[in-house]
Amino acid sequence: MIQAQPEAPASTGERLYRWLDARFGLGRLVEFARHKEVPVGGHSMVWYYLGGTTLFFFTVQLVSGVLLLMYYQPGEATSYESIRYITAKVPFGWLIRSVHCWSAHLMILSLVVHMFSTMILKAYRKPRELTWVTGFVLFAIALGFGFSGYLLPWNELSFFATAVGTDSVKSVPLVGQWLLEVMRGGPDVTINTLYRFFALHVVILPLVMVAVVSTHLIFIQVQGMAPAMAYQRPDRPGLKFFPDFLLRDLLLWLVCLIALASLVYLLPYGPGIPGMEWELGKKANPLAPAYPGIKPEWYFLWIYQLLKEFPAHLAGMEGPQAALLVVTVLMGVWAFVPWLDRRAAKGKSSPMFTDLAIAAVIFMAYLTLKAWDIGGHGAPGKLPDPRSTAWTCAWITLGLASAIAVLRILAYRQRWMIFSGAALLQVILNGVLRVDYLIAGAVALLLALAGVALTSRKQAPVETGVPR
Amino acid sequence: MTAPVARSVKPARRSILNWLLGAGIVSWAVSVLYPVFRYLRPLSEVGAGGPLKLSADELATLEKSHFVIVRSGTRKVIVFEANGMLHALDAKCTHEGCTVQFVSGDSLLWCACHNGKFDLDGRVISGPPPRPLAKWMATREGTDVVLTMEKA
Repeated sequence: MIQAQPEAPASTGERLYRWLDARFGLGRLVEFARHKEVPVGGHSMVWYYLGGTTLFFFTVQLVSGVLLLMYYQPGEATSYESIRYITAKVPFGWLIRSVHCWSAHLMILSLVVHMFSTMILKAYRKPRELTWVTGFVLFAIALGFGFSGYLLPWNELSFFATAVGTDSVKSVPLVGQWLLEVMRGGPDVTINTLYRFFALHVVILPLVMVAVVSTHLIFIQVQGMAPAMAYQRPDRPGLKFFPDFLLRDLLLWLVCLIALASLVYLLPYGPGIPGMEWELGKKANPLAPAYPGIKPEWYFLWIYQLLKEFPAHLAGMEGPQAALLVVTVLMGVWAFVPWLDRRAAKGKSSPMFTDLAIAAVIFMAYLTLKAWDIGGHGAPGKLPDPRSTAWTCAWITLGLASAIAVLRILAYRQRWMIFSGAALLQVILNGVLRVDYLIAGAVALLLALAGVALTSRKQAPVETGVPR
Repeated sequence: MTAPVARSVKPARRSILNWLLGAGIVSWAVSVLYPVFRYLRPLSEVGAGGPLKLSADELATLEKSHFVIVRSGTRKVIVFEANGMLHALDAKCTHEGCTVQFVSGDSLLWCACHNGKFDLDGRVISGPPPRPLAKWMATREGTDVVLTMEKA
């Protein structure tokens, strides 16, 4: 008689799993995870990791932010002093603050690269339109985080950055003044503004961010990651998410952590580039004039420069109002790209929108370089010369744009370059030929529209499978 | 044979109920949101008051730096000395609300935020500011300096 072998006793982990499975049906989740794949082929896998790195830096922000809260005290006599106490006295306080600042910049950088790669690869196309929109909302929230966090040290730089940033909302039609006073807690930037920004930075925005990030991630889980456009092959197996992709993800997060730690250790107060430094400086004094060389964070520099380029009045509006309108229209176009790009929605190549992303890079790069006054530094004590700044920045942008164009033509066989050409034309007209920035922009825009009208008529019947 | 009658009445009754329910929800939302909106907007502060006398500290700063910025109610005023005369203007740049400064070497007022420049009377010389700086009257009374708002 053969006796039945007694079953090996289940481990604690296994018993816990069974207990939970009996109550919550974990089996379905495990089954889902087992089948989850990341598409392979068509383009580099690198682009699939950027959302994850952004999430990693956001997590670092949450942890370091909570740690800063242990010592930070909002108030006229305490905000600046408590930050100084954190960096000077608290053990490793400088480290926590530096991690928070560096990670904030790296999160925005990772988010921006993620957004541009999504744009160029058309991952927003049907059925992922809402994933793009939630991503755009996350981008806006991240900018809100940067802006509100900027004021909390209550130093000179933060005071004026907030004065300028909040002042621009008064241009919003009808509710502008109401919005301005609600944001500032009064007609001017005072300590009341800091209280409101504090609430925004540590309570409101984190709650909204977590909610929108969850929605963004649920969309991705339900629909999967977008495969490359031209090589959609359902027969080709993807990369298993568990454990293959996840392990790679974790490895990259480790690399990010090492990079973050190195930057924090080597440059605890930032690289010293205007818009990317966080030396505490002087305490905010509402009765001191703005000091020379004052700049916002690097990701706001293009808007800062655009405000400078607009004249006092334009088309019946005040300059800042017109500038804000232009930024709103550009952002609106960006947010609604999935519906504007009709070709990608049908799974066809859409070179026009690839070029739109490149044009946006050229447009913002030129303005950002100008905002940094590159090439405009004259004699000491003198203001940077805007003409020589424009000249130098135009040539740098021209070099950058040419390199991108050569890469696109040779490596990706892309030919449609009307938008990026127009953006570059504006740069050349303004920086090299010294035409007014807005006139140069209007000329470039008209030519771009004419180009679109001509090529769309010519290209309409052409359907190709080549990645463009 | 009442069924057809019931059928013709029901949708109308249902739509009225739906409408009432919708209106009820909207008015409930308004009654909740209105106090929140009112709460968020701060009480308006007292505006610029009557004549303002500069303190000894402010006079010392004016002497040393050729200009001083003082507060009058909710407004900031820049007082500066040029060509042997006292001038006073709103210190808040009309472009994006930064605080201007007096550049004595160039005899102009300058906003460092977006490079706006104003002359000694507050008129825009160059840069993006859309409006001039409002003028104030600065008069010496013995050793004191008194500021009064100029009527537009």
